[in-house]
Amino acid sequence: MLTSSHLHELWSYRDLIIRLAWSDFKLRYKNSALGFFWSLLEPLLMLLILYVVFSNLMRVQVEHYQLFLLLGIILWNFLDRGTSMSISGIIGKPSLVQKVYFPRDILILSTCTTALMMTLLEFVVFIIFMAFFEVVPGMTVAYFPLLFIFEFLIILGLSMALSALNVYFRDVQFIWRLIVQVGFFATPILYPITIFPEKIRWIVMLNPVALIITMMRDSILYKTSPEPFNLAYIALSTLILLLSGYFIFDRLEPKFAESI
Amino acid sequence: MAVQVEHLWKTFQIPHEKRTTLFENLVGMMKPRRYETFTVLKDVSFEVDEGECIGIIGDNGSGKSTLLKIIANILRPTKGMVRVKGKMTPFLELGVGFQPDLTVKENVGVYATIMGLSRKEILERMDDAIDFAGLRKFEDTKLKNLSSGMQVRLAFSTAIQTDPDVLLVDEALAVGDMEFQQKCFEVFSRYKKEGVTILFVSHDLGAVRRFCDKTMLLRNGEQEFFCDTTQAIDKYIYKSNEGDVKESQTIEDDKSRRGNRRIEITGLKFMDKYGKENDNFIHGDPFTVRIFYESHEKEISPVFGIIFYYQDTYCYGTTTEFKGYDPGLIYGRGYVDFIVDRLPLIEGKFDLAVAVSSPDNKTLYDWHDRLYSFNVHNSTRDLGIFSMDSVWRASDKG
Repeated sequence: MLTSSHLHELWSYRDLIIRLAWSDFKLRYKNSALGFFWSLLEPLLMLLILYVVFSNLMRVQVEHYQLFLLLGIILWNFLDRGTSMSISGIIGKPSLVQKVYFPRDILILSTCTTALMMTLLEFVVFIIFMAFFEVVPGMTVAYFPLLFIFEFLIILGLSMALSALNVYFRDVQFIWRLIVQVGFFATPILYPITIFPEKIRWIVMLNPVALIITMMRDSILYKTSPEPFNLAYIALSTLILLLSGYFIFDRLEPKFAESI
Repeated sequence: MAVQVEHLWKTFQIPHEKRTTLFENLVGMMKPRRYETFTVLKDVSFEVDEGECIGIIGDNGSGKSTLLKIIANILRPTKGMVRVKGKMTPFLELGVGFQPDLTVKENVGVYATIMGLSRKEILERMDDAIDFAGLRKFEDTKLKNLSSGMQVRLAFSTAIQTDPDVLLVDEALAVGDMEFQQKCFEVFSRYKKEGVTILFVSHDLGAVRRFCDKTMLLRNGEQEFFCDTTQAIDKYIYKSNEGDVKESQTIEDDKSRRGNRRIEITGLKFMDKYGKENDNFIHGDPFTVRIFYESHEKEISPVFGIIFYYQDTYCYGTTTEFKGYDPGLIYGRGYVDFIVDRLPLIEGKFDLAVAVSSPDNKTLYDWHDRLYSFNVHNSTRDLGIFSMDSVWRASDKG
């Protein structure tokens, strides 16, 4: 569990987490001539398509729609990538589980860190876009790093549970893909929450990921601070997701080496 | 106490039908799950002092590797407790986490981190590791472009940059050529000299004999013996078979058999120094071949012969007549023993041909061409097939 002694142990393994994450990060780009630019091309291409479809055909009326869309895609990609890379983080590395020992959550921490690195790279593009469209964030941007950390911890919590379950139930990864795909459309990424009638908006916003993405967008693009209640809700759901993720992981972890 | 193991049990549950998906689990909810339980370790307890080198030997499936993995914290014991003092490094597999698409340098970095080196230590020892592997020229080459031999060398030279207090070795020495194995032995000697506690699982009894102060023999998960290495190996090779040496069934007729069967060789047994039937022997130990026969008529002074082969090499042949032994009158069932006080064969699998013929050697009664074989295990550092009883002496100088 996330006791202080375990956190202390993780700290002593920080080199390993970073080394694993960094080598994985490099591996993802090594074999392509365009290197890092490939990773930027993907969200940009998606942005282009979605932008054309939604702003012209569907006529979504949102201020800074390009940036609204790009940020939404980047933040959603972070979740998507982090969880789907982690989900095979245990079964995909049998020799690291069966032939050496270090706390196994390091494997998941490192894949989530790789996803974090990839997302930070995409943020470079986002900042360039912001400069291009001459959008200056207000003071409220100060909330962004905090929210971003919450998102990382949500991803970590989900990844812990999913990667551990996937050792025993190999179809978890397919079920999760399905959930992510549905989630993409159920979350206000392409559209603003305002397209829903006021009465049912709170249902959509029960999803902490929907809430956090909306809050992050507000803080960067619309100079809006998060409401304290929403912030508390996010903090609480992050904590619950993280702890239950670790709980499931810890329960299943002792038999990983025998079950892979 | 560097390593302490108390009443260790390990049971694996192997389900009859493996359900690996949620779907299968849901569908299978109605049916009760049936398991085959398989106890790999039964109440193993031992203690290892600091700086000791312990060998762990036993047949395949005797639980050696499982024991090592539990000590390494990779598997959890079903019951019991393991305590390890100091920094432990497992050499269960070389090159864990090697990525073919990363360069030599990058892989050394990742692997050394996995083996528990700090960033500073890696910076200091990176060059040593690459030089020791002889890969200086290739340090920026992708790993996949190196030969597998080079990769093993790189893995080994990186792994030995660690300075553990307790080292767990599982057959890591079984890879590589003679030169590489020699290198490995040198490194292990160095570790041993530095006072590292070593637990060494191996099939290579020669290496165990050379390095281990004490040796544990595991048999079907039970700790059969834990003390002196020579005795442990002795116990391992001369497994106690129940009962006396009995004659086996008649051998099927085939191409390997010739002769008119006036006297028939009905069976052959190898016997160890305890008088038990065996087909594994230690070099230098007593060794007996018992040849069973059945004579259908009364026969006086027939000649029994025996030939030892190593692969296709004719090593040694002799007969009762050459040795001046007369078996006398032979009728009905019986046996003759070929007795060796000190087995001069060193190592390997040896085949045997036996024959019996008329007293004048003109009529062959029965001949079994290489129907039998036995194994010899080295107890010395001598090489080759057989040893010469010999000493070295330098001339008196001056």
